[in-house]
Amino acid sequence: MSYQEKSVTVSLMSSLLILGYFLANIIQMVQGDGLVSTGVFRLAGIVIAAGIIVNIAANILTNIVLSIVHAIRTGKEEEERFIEDERDKLIELKGVKFSYIVFSVGVLISMISFVIGQPPLVMFSLIIFFAIVAEIIGDIVQIALYRRGF
Amino acid sequence: MEKFQIRNNIRKLRFHHDEMTQEQLAVKVGVTRQTIIAIEGGKYSPSLELAFRIAHVFGIPLQDVFSYEPDENQ
Repeated sequence: MSYQEKSVTVSLMSSLLILGYFLANIIQMVQGDGLVSTGVFRLAGIVIAAGIIVNIAANILTNIVLSIVHAIRTGKEEEERFIEDERDKLIELKGVKFSYIVFSVGVLISMISFVIGQPPLVMFSLIIFFAIVAEIIGDIVQIALYRRGF
Repeated sequence: MEKFQIRNNIRKLRFHHDEMTQEQLAVKVGVTRQTIIAIEGGKYSPSLELAFRIAHVFGIPLQDVFSYEPDENQ
């Protein structure tokens, strides 16, 4: 497993955690007082900030852990080659393409929910939901391409 | 239209160059070992630049490393 593949796997795990947190809170809100604007906007803020912070922290942690594992395995303190080559870039592009398609369809579904009479907060929550799902699908596509060879 | 596929002799060439490992070749051409594995297995077609770099490592012309042949699976 290359460094890039491990990095995508870590990104997938953090996105799944964030999706879980988002869904748990939304379900709690719906079962309680329903969707309240302050609650939904606060949750959206947390999810977006966590998405950025958790991803950066997880990547740094992966780097450190992989360097330690590499040093223990080889017995050398030399730096492992954390490089991104042309295949990695192509795989990332394909992942982004799938993310974009999923997010576009998600935004369309969110708009349709508004058109058929759902409140704007439902539309907003759906957009946030599909943004996280799009990220997850993009990561899954990348991992599948890495596993297949390309 | 007849289908073609890119084949390569990288595995054989590595063997004839002091049994060069995939990792050694990867370091020399500046890619990951996984990319060399994918190229050798015919799963990934490298860019023209990378193909030239691989040929340069073995010191032979590009056409001796890669060939464009009709797809046998068709």
